[in-house]
Amino acid sequence: MHFSLRLFTLVAGLLLAAASHAADTAPKLTTPDDLGPEVAQPIEFPHFRHAGDEKDGGMQINCMYCHTYARRSIVAGIPPVQKCVGCHNNIPSVRDTPRIKQLFDYYDNNKAIPWKKVHDLPDFVRFNHERHIKRFYFQQDRPYQEVCGYCHGDVKTMVVARRQKPLTMGWCANCHQKDHLVNASSTETGHGPNDCFTCHK
Amino acid sequence: MNENDFNRRDFLKVVGAGGAAAALSGCGYTSIEDGKETITSYVTLPSYVIPGIANYFNSTCAQCEAACNTMVRVREGRALKAEGNANSPINHGKMCGLGQAGIQAHYNPDRVRTPLLKGPAVTWDDALKEIGTRLNGVKGDEVAFVTGTMSGHAQELLGKYMDALGTKNHASYEAVSPAVLRASNKKAYGVSMPRYRIDKARVVVSFGADFLGAWVSPVYFSQQYAKFRKGNRPEGRGVLVQVEPKMTLTGANADRWLGIRPGTEGILAMGLINALGSAGVKVPADIAAAAKDYTPERVGTDTGVPFDQINKLAALLKERTPSLMLAGTAAEGYAHGSQNAMAIAMLNHVLGNVGKTVEATSAVPLPQLAPVVGNRASLAALNNDLGSGKYKVVFSYGANPVYSAPAAMKFKDNYNKAGFKVAIAQYLDETALAADLVLPLDSAMEEWATVVPEYMPAPDSGYAEDYAQVSFRQPVMKRLYPDTRSIGDILLALLKQRKPDAYKNFDDFYAYLNGAVLEKKVAFGGAAKDDNEVFWNDIVGKGIVPVKGVPARLSAKPNIAGLALPAPAAPDADYPLRLIPAVSASMRDGRNANEPWLQESPDPLTTIVWDSWVEIHPKTAAKLGIAEGDIVEVTSRNGSVKGQAYLFPGIHPDAVSVPVGYGHEAMGRYAKGVGANVFGMLDPVFDKETGELALNGTDVKISKTGDRVIIVKEEGPAGGSQAGRPRIAVKVSAGKVDLTKEV
Repeated sequence: MHFSLRLFTLVAGLLLAAASHAADTAPKLTTPDDLGPEVAQPIEFPHFRHAGDEKDGGMQINCMYCHTYARRSIVAGIPPVQKCVGCHNNIPSVRDTPRIKQLFDYYDNNKAIPWKKVHDLPDFVRFNHERHIKRFYFQQDRPYQEVCGYCHGDVKTMVVARRQKPLTMGWCANCHQKDHLVNASSTETGHGPNDCFTCHK
Repeated sequence: MNENDFNRRDFLKVVGAGGAAAALSGCGYTSIEDGKETITSYVTLPSYVIPGIANYFNSTCAQCEAACNTMVRVREGRALKAEGNANSPINHGKMCGLGQAGIQAHYNPDRVRTPLLKGPAVTWDDALKEIGTRLNGVKGDEVAFVTGTMSGHAQELLGKYMDALGTKNHASYEAVSPAVLRASNKKAYGVSMPRYRIDKARVVVSFGADFLGAWVSPVYFSQQYAKFRKGNRPEGRGVLVQVEPKMTLTGANADRWLGIRPGTEGILAMGLINALGSAGVKVPADIAAAAKDYTPERVGTDTGVPFDQINKLAALLKERTPSLMLAGTAAEGYAHGSQNAMAIAMLNHVLGNVGKTVEATSAVPLPQLAPVVGNRASLAALNNDLGSGKYKVVFSYGANPVYSAPAAMKFKDNYNKAGFKVAIAQYLDETALAADLVLPLDSAMEEWATVVPEYMPAPDSGYAEDYAQVSFRQPVMKRLYPDTRSIGDILLALLKQRKPDAYKNFDDFYAYLNGAVLEKKVAFGGAAKDDNEVFWNDIVGKGIVPVKGVPARLSAKPNIAGLALPAPAAPDADYPLRLIPAVSASMRDGRNANEPWLQESPDPLTTIVWDSWVEIHPKTAAKLGIAEGDIVEVTSRNGSVKGQAYLFPGIHPDAVSVPVGYGHEAMGRYAKGVGANVFGMLDPVFDKETGELALNGTDVKISKTGDRVIIVKEEGPAGGSQAGRPRIAVKVSAGKVDLTKEV
């Protein structure tokens, strides 16, 4: 075969490969800085107002006040509407703002709020919140915003939450390979489990 | 180099580059689907619910009459899996496959969802109004009820409703039930269901009682059996001998399986009594006189059991006491079934087992809650009355006689003679389909009920000897369909129609049950000073209420008068084989045939799935030229079924066996048209004493249809052949085994 033909075949092949790569990744779900897509929610929940620092007008509420299951279950959970209303019943100053009106509409009609999942792992991955909170929050005694932020980013500055990290297997494994202190008072270290079975079961 | 310069290496480069790209994009971030799924929060949430963590609710299984206590796993309001309740004296935390499939009775897509009046859906108000109209001016005796086994407060309400209507016509019908055994136990021991102590016996001889599979309370007996088989028991490891014409799961577990000629179980029992007498065991004079003609040689000829086996078995029974003789489904299914069961009971008396391994039991102290157990004799009476056109209104619940009555009884035609038929049903089974009005029933996961098991377990340690129990069934999740009702709710609504004033304070069955239980708080084990709410939450939470039972004592005096065993029937020239309808652990009488797990789980002995089969002894098959997978027709005088032939050495050569429970014409997508219904072809042979339909009383012939299929089964195609490898298990002929030395 002539050199030109050989080159042509190779170039064509590479172009084809590049094109297929481009086609497969066309709807970009992540930007180079690992940011997830913006997700529209039924109520535009202002995380910064609830969890943000005082200087930014936030109330510095612990993440686990609302996402209370994170320390007890595999899921962090979305609080029941009852919980939102429980506080907001006692905050008349914002009672007539559009978002709070919307909230009470749901509650008064006994309707659940159809939130959209922002951090949605594939169904074959089992991620356990409880285990991570136990190690980093309770045993290492790190600040909760830092602990939640490893995976969720700086939610306290956001309005509607948006994915900040890739949440891919490589990204998980990367952290699991690092040495972490087993607890706050010890110098002993350990790393996360590395068995397939731990997450894929 | 090849003329074509485009060589393999170049090809691989191109493919490799493309492949790598494809692989990269395939493993990328595409599977993280942010913002696509909804994560709906609750509006309000009880404090004990944590999303992602299951709650467990105690309840009671409704899959068979054993009524095991369950603990159902519920996550985020959905029932996921039933486990056994560890505190239950019946099942001690265990569950059988049939019980596991109960979840599929709940989520079954073919459930009835609204009341149906002659087809179209109607509202509950209209349905109840229609019943009221139809009952108008009807005399009490013109109303009949046909139900399965009922107990607890639903039975109490049914009794009250029947009183309100002025009727006594309640046919409690079970297609497969130990009814002959109950009657003969009553005569022989004075108690219809004594406690059998397999765990205390040193030898168990079971005459066709499949107590590990489908007999009475299999999960309970399986645990007794586990203790029986432990070598470190003070009595030593027990020996199990199974005598039956067709091998059951229990037979497959036995140390010695004796394939007996169908119907000669009583003869073998008498032969054993005779042999025991000869060996020096003290036999009461009247029993000895009745047994003296049953010499080992004669019994060997009649039963087909080698006569030296009879002597060996007698020697074993003499050496190891106490033992336990069980009369099961295979022994009682004949015109002389009661006689068979009585002979076996006499054997227990002779061996001194009564009082040792056949124990007194106790009943619940509230007779209105006691189980009204089903049988097949009641159906014959109902059928006659239906045929005479006596009934204007018939209610059915928990029974499917249109499916399971033999065709010779013409039950469906007679049923259609009733003026107005109401079926209270979870599915459109054959009986519901023939009814005028169908009332949709809750699943067992959705209803409130109390259940009193017929077979009362022996007390666990810590309980008194007069232990009896009432089990609670509570809804473990909200109704899947808002228009279904529990049997209690339906009976209450019907009662309100007749006596509005007496029942107006009860909004629903829950209110009635709560009131009725709290009224009898002391009988339910509470103290009068207990707070009502605390007491109620406690018993519902536990699901098991131990009560102080009324002891039912054994009458130990054996009475053999009237025992007459017929000589084995000479083979019928036209119908040379005996049909043994097999009751399997999964399929039972066919009421659960629409639960796909049960269809899918292989039969323990043949490993066949999703179809019925015709079990034939290889010798008989060879004589008839039948090979595995041949579609054969099994014909009796009253009908026939077609099925795939399965060659199986665990059956008497003069018998063929077809499992019951298959061959539904209705009952939803998983049951309809799967296999063949063997109930239909049974001859109308009845037990002479109890009037029970004799399951094994049908003679049949077999013919090949010419079709052949590949049987869908788990085992290898050669049926257990070693395919040329040396034999691992060595065959020893039955005559050469000495049971006393074997264990």
